[in-house]
Amino acid sequence: MSNFRRAQDEAHPNKTSTLTLAIIVVQILLITLQIWLLYSGLNNTLEHNRDVAIPALIASFILFLACCGLLYFLPGRKR
Amino acid sequence: MGTKQYPQPPDWQRDFPYRQEEARLVTRREFSRMLCLISAAMVTGSGYVAIRSFWKGKKGPAGRFAVCSVSELPLGGTRSFQLPGSNTPYILIHLENGQFRAYEQKCTHLSCAVFYKAGTGKIECPCHNGWFDANTGEVVQGPPPRPLPALEVMVESGQVYVNGPA
Repeated sequence: MSNFRRAQDEAHPNKTSTLTLAIIVVQILLITLQIWLLYSGLNNTLEHNRDVAIPALIASFILFLACCGLLYFLPGRKR
Repeated sequence: MGTKQYPQPPDWQRDFPYRQEEARLVTRREFSRMLCLISAAMVTGSGYVAIRSFWKGKKGPAGRFAVCSVSELPLGGTRSFQLPGSNTPYILIHLENGQFRAYEQKCTHLSCAVFYKAGTGKIECPCHNGWFDANTGEVVQGPPPRPLPALEVMVESGQVYVNGPA
């Protein structure tokens, strides 16, 4: 039975290369969002506003899971 | 005669070599995995901030402290001071409208010393051209993200007192 991984392994190297680059770009975007969340949480905490830190932590954790989840779609090594 | 075998460096050292010319081993896959590590570091940082926001750490000195007498500070004048048991620098300002204000003398951007610009009603951070309202401590212009932390000021029998931040 075919699955996405087998189809990916048989794809042209140009396609897998584009996919790898796309995953890296999305990961960088997710990290940029995490940096913004960390900055906002820190500034609000220093301003004695506690309501931002916990939602920022939860959102940052979800983005981390998304970042790790993208590794699943990373093309395998060419053998 | 056999050639001398050198021990292989560990994997992490081959992925992040000391010399630039050895860096060809870092592939896009490895870079992508490293991005996940950076993402984990961001979560750790956010977790640290969340814990610190609810953690009651060491507070500043509590109580009332005399800074100077009213006659020592003319209108538009300033005086730097520190509270006993604290290294935080503060600035006492005698505003042109006759009121006194006391703020932390550290810019909320990168902790440069701030100064009152007499006659303008504004406090200046000369490092990155940040400006605060001397009456409220709010940011007027520039990169500072937060207002200046203020101390409560009282004038009694010709003496200026401040309340500690605790």
